[in-house]
Amino acid sequence: MAFILSEEFKARAAKICARYPRADAALIPLLLELQKEAGYVAEEGMDALAQLLELPYSRVKAVTTFYTMFKREPAGKYHLQVCRNISCHMAGAAGLLDGLKKKLAIEEGETTKDGIFTLSSVECLGACGSAPVMQVNEHYFENLNEEKLDALLEELKHGRLPRH
Amino acid sequence: MPKLTIDGKSIEVEKGTTLLAAAQQLGVYIPRYCYHPKLSISGNCRMCMVEVEKAPKLLTACSTEAAEGMIVSTTSDKVKAARRDVLEFLLINHPLDCPICDQAGECGLQDYYMDYSLAPSRFRMADKVRREKRRPVGPHLVLDKERCILCTRCVRFCSEVTKTSELEVMERADHSYIGLKEGKALDNGYSLNIADICPVGAFTSRDFRFKSRVWFLKKVPTVCLGCATGCLIEAHHNENIIYRLVPRPNPDTNTWLCDHGRLTYKSVQAGDRLSKGVIKNGLIDLEPALREVASRIDEARTSVAILGSPWLSIEDNAALARLAKDGVKTGSYCFDFNSEQGIKDGILINKDSAPNTSGVKAVGAAHGGIKLAELSRRITAGEIKLVLTEARAAGLIKQALKSAGTRLIVFAANRGEIPPDTYATLPYASYFETPGTFINYQGLRRRTEPPVKAPEGVKPLWAVVNKLAAYSGDSLRLESAEDALEGIELK
Repeated sequence: MAFILSEEFKARAAKICARYPRADAALIPLLLELQKEAGYVAEEGMDALAQLLELPYSRVKAVTTFYTMFKREPAGKYHLQVCRNISCHMAGAAGLLDGLKKKLAIEEGETTKDGIFTLSSVECLGACGSAPVMQVNEHYFENLNEEKLDALLEELKHGRLPRH
Repeated sequence: MPKLTIDGKSIEVEKGTTLLAAAQQLGVYIPRYCYHPKLSISGNCRMCMVEVEKAPKLLTACSTEAAEGMIVSTTSDKVKAARRDVLEFLLINHPLDCPICDQAGECGLQDYYMDYSLAPSRFRMADKVRREKRRPVGPHLVLDKERCILCTRCVRFCSEVTKTSELEVMERADHSYIGLKEGKALDNGYSLNIADICPVGAFTSRDFRFKSRVWFLKKVPTVCLGCATGCLIEAHHNENIIYRLVPRPNPDTNTWLCDHGRLTYKSVQAGDRLSKGVIKNGLIDLEPALREVASRIDEARTSVAILGSPWLSIEDNAALARLAKDGVKTGSYCFDFNSEQGIKDGILINKDSAPNTSGVKAVGAAHGGIKLAELSRRITAGEIKLVLTEARAAGLIKQALKSAGTRLIVFAANRGEIPPDTYATLPYASYFETPGTFINYQGLRRRTEPPVKAPEGVKPLWAVVNKLAAYSGDSLRLESAEDALEGIELK
């Protein structure tokens, strides 16, 4: 199964690489580009990127797997990412996560059958001041509690991403 | 040149020296997992933390440069507490499967726990993170991810020494593990070094696993004869069986040892190890074999050719030279080998696969002889009726032997070495069984120390040669290996 980077991607990659002194510095921006294209970073994509940047495959894989922001398989329409680090944890993130698991009937890392929600717990989102925090796709929802979360889920189920 | 004090002893060190290296110079041992003298500094295991006066926190000795006036303590209560805490941290998810772990007895976790911790665990066995166990990675290694402490020595070895970069730390936090590409083998020619440098039982050698507990092993310093590099090694053995070869790091030749070299001991214990003579394809006792070879030599006499071998020690080559000059009295003998030498891969493996090309030159210098090309010419021209040599050296004159159909008699340690169409084969003691002198590609003298005994009745090659001459009524007076060295100048 050959995975070929599009010419367009390569052209963009060249521009991005030009911003950095070394090829490996461009790795994270290029992984983000790759994720933007397919919604996730495929195993074959890592291989192709390693070849493009002349980096060892293991390096690309190590970086990709280190950051929870990189998805490694296709996710649902809304990717619910609950922060599990200390501030959010103390403000009740664990309870919120358990609640989501029950309501959606999925475990961490799984996607609902209708393909709408994917649930994950992630490392610090850098918003400790408004803990607990959950990121939905690119958007933050802060100072959450159970009621707010229920309301949010309801909106999302109808395909509306509320203002936040 | 900064001057500093470590545990009350003062020392002056080169600028750039780390605290760990400075302490080592003073004979103060600082525990470490991730630090390795031949790899880049990582500073991740935190085991080497020391207290430096006026520094707000403990510092890692492996990555802190010695500075003027530093007052360092490696034994303060703070340091002791830190070591205990680091060990507790490293052991939280450790499976504690020492009874079934092959590293037991030479494990960094066991040793340091006894030296620096001895604290009972506060964590429940059931809460430990479970990970993949006993996964074969490549032909030589097994990886146990549960035992790994993520020191990254293996990662750095692959990226800095072999430059193949197969390994990396995948995932993060307590999900992390050492991984490589799915379906890819870790086989870079030096992979067994990873089993050596792994401070715990995460990487173990597939060859050595479960063969012997390490505390039963006896150690003999010897030399690797896998190629002309002549790495210094240690043979680990017990009850006449060799279990593994490991490098003896030294500044001249080697820190590491290649996979090929490590497995050279296998031939000694292989099923095809010769303990009897071979005539054509039949095994025959040593005495009748010797008698047969002696009478074939007597038949041919001056049309006998004797070829030395870069795979044999200087002593054994010298014995062959004496046989040619003083026993058989033939002019057709050759100790002229000129393989190109030098490190082939930038690490250890030599262009010359024979261990003693330089050593044979010294024999040639003392005893003379003809060039290899001239020997081939004489064989091809039919001037030679019988060639006596070592099995692998016979390969160097293969073409000539084939075209002339000359009778070939070889010395061999293993049946697999015997070239096709060999008339007779005499066994000899390999250099795991008898001492021998070699000269490596750098011109350094290398002496093997035998860890095991040869099979019953099998003698060193010089002794077989001495006996062979006696059967023909000639006396070479070789009572010991040293007798053969007479007249040979060794640097």
